[in-house]
Amino acid sequence: MTLRLIISYFLMITGSAFAIVTVLGLLRFPDVYTRIHAGAVVLTISAVLVTMGTAIYVWDLFLSAKIVLIGIFFLFSNPMATHAIARASYKRQIALPEEYEIDAYSDYLGRDA
Amino acid sequence: MLQKFSAFIFLLIVWFIFAGKITVDVLIIGSAASLLVTLFFSDMLFREVHRKLPWYHYLRKLALLLLFIPVFFYEAITAALKVSKHVFEKNPSFNPGIVKVKTELTDITGLSLLANLITLTPGTLTLDYDRSEKAYYIHWIDVETVEEAELKKKIIARFERWVGVIFR
Repeated sequence: MTLRLIISYFLMITGSAFAIVTVLGLLRFPDVYTRIHAGAVVLTISAVLVTMGTAIYVWDLFLSAKIVLIGIFFLFSNPMATHAIARASYKRQIALPEEYEIDAYSDYLGRDA
Repeated sequence: MLQKFSAFIFLLIVWFIFAGKITVDVLIIGSAASLLVTLFFSDMLFREVHRKLPWYHYLRKLALLLLFIPVFFYEAITAALKVSKHVFEKNPSFNPGIVKVKTELTDITGLSLLANLITLTPGTLTLDYDRSEKAYYIHWIDVETVEEAELKKKIIARFERWVGVIFR
């Protein structure tokens, strides 16, 4: 009983800490693509941890299943959205990287590196 | 037929989960909605199996899929910790670059799953997939020389083996 609450609180607090780290990363990283990195990896893990913690906290079959379903959806949708944003901002030249030493993608698009 | 039937069952289970209770009226409305969706969009959820495999192959795939879940969570949490370490540096500075990585997968589900996994591993972000050359274009957060990029491609090859066995 109390062990369940402790596990759920631990998961939720870890998730919130990762969310705060995401915000710090979005503010501190140098250019657009590195900021997208922070949003992609850490935010996904934080959301999944918070949903898992909530699912353990309520401990009801249908409610927990619903919350786990939301977590799985987040796990798939966040990397896809991140990928779409990064690809669009490169292809439409919204935010081009300045000094990359290795840039295979600009060769593929037929641009001068 | 099997495709439509499995799509119907899947949608009905999701409907029951979101309804939160199993009663007759939920069953009636849920089966009506699931039937409507199944009639129009069933080819989007599951695809037809073209090759016939012996039954134990599917059992092996299911076992590997279940085994893959803890591996995936371990990798994702270590990735989050590595990026968090970058956040607390005094001067966050990187050498980003975009690398081309070839892959041998052909299955569409496997390809999109591998792209998601690459995005969730530390310091990598899938930008695009070239269908004619079968190669991903990956934005790497910290790549200094070409040799180092070759070394880091091995991290992706490990995931590719998992996905290649499960979705083949």
